[in-house]
Amino acid sequence: MRMTDRPSNEEGALAPWFAAGREAAPLPSGEFMARMEALALESQPAPRAAPAAPARQSRGPGRLLARLRAMGGWPALAGLTAACAMGLWIGAAAPEAAVDWVATATQEQGLSGLDPASGFDYAMLGL
Amino acid sequence: MPYDAMTDTSDEQLLAAYAAGAPGAARALTARLGPLAFGHAFRMLRDRAEAEDVAQEALLRLWRAAPGWREGEAKVSTWLYKVVSNLCIDRMRRRRGGFAALEDVAEPADPAPSAAARLQERSRAEALEGALAALPDRQKQAVVLRHLEGLTNPEIAAIMDIGVRAVESLTARGRKALEGLLAPRRADLGYEDD
Repeated sequence: MRMTDRPSNEEGALAPWFAAGREAAPLPSGEFMARMEALALESQPAPRAAPAAPARQSRGPGRLLARLRAMGGWPALAGLTAACAMGLWIGAAAPEAAVDWVATATQEQGLSGLDPASGFDYAMLGL
Repeated sequence: MPYDAMTDTSDEQLLAAYAAGAPGAARALTARLGPLAFGHAFRMLRDRAEAEDVAQEALLRLWRAAPGWREGEAKVSTWLYKVVSNLCIDRMRRRRGGFAALEDVAEPADPAPSAAARLQERSRAEALEGALAALPDRQKQAVVLRHLEGLTNPEIAAIMDIGVRAVESLTARGRKALEGLLAPRRADLGYEDD
């Protein structure tokens, strides 16, 4: 409250009367206060429900999903599936072509053509 | 933490906690606002039973308004003063055909017999209440809010739905009328000795 907005600045000769009036502040009875508290409690809205906890997932899918995430998620699974399908297709549809290709490579380059580690590497390792 | 101990929690925060169903908020709000509502109603009506009815009705309205209360919209105490004031004015208009005479003011019912000074102070307060009862309703409302409840003029303007200038005018006229009504009582109530 601003200094100029104090009621006492305006009271003049009535100041002692108002002071007596403020001093005699009417107080409610204890019974009334107890009744008001009961009414407040009765009217109070129920506590707001806490956000629902996520439903616990069953053990199996949870583990599988965790492993899938560890592998790289759904894109990795798609790549793996495509590679498996390609392998099956090669094995089932063109086994002879694959055998021919291996034979040709062996004849032209020897085993080093198929072996990722060359003879030089084995020599360096003392094998 | 119990809300009763949180003296720095505003009424608005308490009301929000009440609306959220927080335990303890109902008790703390009642402890704060119950005496305010009753006190103002009693000063306006000078009848304990009627003041309790008005205070109960005002508090019930507040509890119902709590869930929709928008923060920053209004001060809870100002809102409550407004509801109590309006309920009191309605009752005063219903029950009163004319102004009460100052001579009708009852003597204090249960003064402390051994404390003469306290008795005199109580008599002064009673005389003031009697004089206030002789004022027109709106003047009385403005004077009580200003000089007994200690509110600022802008707060009273918000409660009474009028401008600050109108509040100043009402309180000035009310004080002038009170001076005239109380002047004959000065000697009776010991003000000549003050």
